[in-house]
Amino acid sequence: MSKRSRRKKEKISSMEQTQLAHVEGDSKKTVSEPEHTHNYEGKKYSKIVRFYDRHYLWLLIIPVLLLAAALVQIGIQTAQTGDFIQKGISLKGGVTITIATDKIIDTAGLKSELLSQFPKLDASVRTLTSAGQSVGYVIEADLQNSADIDKGISIVETYTGIDKKEFGIETIQPSLGASFFEEVAIAMLVAFAFMAIVVFLTFRTFVPSFAAVFSVFSDMVITLAVVNLLGIKVSSAGIAAFLMLIGYSIDTDILLSTRVLKREEGSVLDRILSSVKTGLTMAGTTIVAAIIAFIFTESETLKQIMLIILIGLFVDIFNTWLQNAAILRWYVEHRGKKHGKA
Amino acid sequence: MGRLRQIVTNPRMIILFIFLVLAIVAIKPVPWNDGVSIRSVSAESAAAFAGIENPAQGSSLMSRERVLSINGVAVHNIQDYYSEASQLKVNKTYTVQTNKGLYRLTTQIGENNTVTDLGLRVSNAPKTNIKKGLDLQGGTRVLLQPEKQISKDEMSTLMDNMVQRLNVYGLSDVIVRQAGDLSGNQYISVEIAGVNEEEVRDLISKQGKFEATIANQTVFQGGKDITYVCRTATCSGIDPESGCGTVQGGSWACRFRFSISLTPTAAERQANLTKNLQIEGTGDIRNSYLSEPLVLYLDDKEVDSLNIGAELKGKATTDIQISGSGAGATQDEAINNALQNMKRLQTVLITGSLPVKLNVVKTDTISPVLGEQFVSNSLFIGLLAIIAVGVVISLRYKKWQVSVPIIITMISEVILLLGMAALIGWNIDIAAIAGIIVAVGTGVDDQIVITDETLMGGKSNKDSSWKTRLKYAFFIIMAAYFSTVVAMLPLLFAGAGLLKGFAITSILGVTFGVFITRPAYAAVVEILVKE
Repeated sequence: MSKRSRRKKEKISSMEQTQLAHVEGDSKKTVSEPEHTHNYEGKKYSKIVRFYDRHYLWLLIIPVLLLAAALVQIGIQTAQTGDFIQKGISLKGGVTITIATDKIIDTAGLKSELLSQFPKLDASVRTLTSAGQSVGYVIEADLQNSADIDKGISIVETYTGIDKKEFGIETIQPSLGASFFEEVAIAMLVAFAFMAIVVFLTFRTFVPSFAAVFSVFSDMVITLAVVNLLGIKVSSAGIAAFLMLIGYSIDTDILLSTRVLKREEGSVLDRILSSVKTGLTMAGTTIVAAIIAFIFTESETLKQIMLIILIGLFVDIFNTWLQNAAILRWYVEHRGKKHGKA
Repeated sequence: MGRLRQIVTNPRMIILFIFLVLAIVAIKPVPWNDGVSIRSVSAESAAAFAGIENPAQGSSLMSRERVLSINGVAVHNIQDYYSEASQLKVNKTYTVQTNKGLYRLTTQIGENNTVTDLGLRVSNAPKTNIKKGLDLQGGTRVLLQPEKQISKDEMSTLMDNMVQRLNVYGLSDVIVRQAGDLSGNQYISVEIAGVNEEEVRDLISKQGKFEATIANQTVFQGGKDITYVCRTATCSGIDPESGCGTVQGGSWACRFRFSISLTPTAAERQANLTKNLQIEGTGDIRNSYLSEPLVLYLDDKEVDSLNIGAELKGKATTDIQISGSGAGATQDEAINNALQNMKRLQTVLITGSLPVKLNVVKTDTISPVLGEQFVSNSLFIGLLAIIAVGVVISLRYKKWQVSVPIIITMISEVILLLGMAALIGWNIDIAAIAGIIVAVGTGVDDQIVITDETLMGGKSNKDSSWKTRLKYAFFIIMAAYFSTVVAMLPLLFAGAGLLKGFAITSILGVTFGVFITRPAYAAVVEILVKE
């Protein structure tokens, strides 16, 4: 047992050494054999790869434009509504009634019934589906005091003919909704800052660390804009999805940076390509699982989480492989040239 | 065969195996578990008198006592239990067989000559130790916020009182938790399985300041001045004299009454206050009353006003009758409401008042049907997702040596997480399921990194040794791991703990993954794939 732990210690220290050696080795290597953008060394690359290889800096425009467009969308949204997201009832205050039933309910009729009692109500009546089948209904309304809520519930009860004991009912006071939103927004900023610190401590060089963190930032901003454009009203659980995105998004960036900065074999392009292969497999498994959960879940909460994750994973493909990869490659090759001259 | 032995004897695999066994022991799956399990026993009920005990606080689900038969008729689920219990007759003795013994229960007379229930709150027998959260088993959660900041001591008094109140009311299966947020707000979250919201909302949100006054002078207060509150059918229930009646508009109202005993000091106070009152009404002393009524206040709101019989003038009596009313659209509803009001008032009188007023800021009620549906739906999705991920992995690697271990690793991670949840009594709810998804999803990602780093090792000597390749893989994994963990940390403290379950499950899950399943997976792939 003691032998084992000693061996482990040795392993760790040797790991540190090799890592240091690699950083040095990297720069030495780039000094002696600078990377050639157009040198394919007799390897067969597909047309797409050749195109990417030639124009990778131009391709950077795609994620940059996406980010700019997203910022504009969020700016307009904030100017118009005062909020950068569309808050669902759980962040705004009100009542959500979930009914699981195979009964057919006239959603428009129920909504107008509610509106006739509460003319100023912000209400929605939606059908819950699982695998395309209707499995129930979700009624959301920004009713606030308990008398109104009770009245609203009894309207739904009478209209649907279903006892309220079978409902799922969630009520939330506007004050809690507002403070919860504020809290989670702070938590998100702190989470992002913590993540950035870990990344900077891991790579200890500015440009690659910044590129990775920036890629996560873009991912979250663009996803948020898409969520807004789709008209999704974000619930408290939906916010959790954005936090999950931080984790999923940084994974591929760390993979890419490690391969490009620490590995030695192959050209930078080769290392990027190998990362793309691994990264897309990672995204692929997560996307497939998220699609299945999105289609089949009967929970509104999980459905929204999965939808936001799906959007984020697709956006992340652009951010990691067109944005982060381009910045990293430009950095490594540029650094090489500078060292070469000196 | 040699490789199989290598896998089985690999220390990392042995560690994983030990943890898996521990997890399964903690989950304790018993698919054939029969009967209904006892969640709580009401005080002074038939079951309590027969000696059936409340499950111990914090006890595991599988250790709870289970009712197997009533009066010789087997009980397999709650439907059986209720249909059997509804056929019981008043004042008769029945046998209840549980897995721990045979009890003889004598039913009591209830209101309107109905049988009071046996005093048991039951649920279907659990098949595992995994506690299902509110949204998966149905129930009520109320989030309360004190009206003003209170000290730590006050908070613990408040929570103790709350638990006591719920216990006295007959609910022992409750979770009362303190929650906070980053801005220093205080919250109390109360979770009760399988009760409808209205029944408890008033009970726990009431400060419970009970006061009885005569001519605006306090006679006695809830808690300290009351020595006994009668809750048996003989001295509490619908008032036999005034009973129920229709009021204007055709709705019904019923009056309840129950007797209490006061401390001698409070009785003395009453004597002093009634000494100088006038007697109103003429003739028979039984129809005469004192000039000031006894007014009952709950949280500064008048509950009832009672005429004081003339014969009580100046007398230090310790026995008092408290009354009140309840209304409803039908007589049954009015009776029910009156009895519920009575029970709440009794509870408040016994437990006294809370140190501060509380506001209800959030309530969730989930019907058990909805919950059950979510469970089977989640299991189905989990299975489907694992299969789908397996298909993607197989398409990419075309090697069973990779896809089979990845799928087994995924399943192991779910088992480890559920085992941990069962061990610490953590509730699995939808937020926790989202956490499990994060953990397993990150796990698969890491497994792919390990696989690619080892399979696609380059040709240069330095990078080609397994050790070096694994070092790269674990460098990536550890960096990603720490990023995910620190990103989840703030959620542990933010937002009244509403997303705490999600954060804890995902942090625990990725931690198990990084320290237990990843090393085992790396070992297996090395053994299976290395030439």
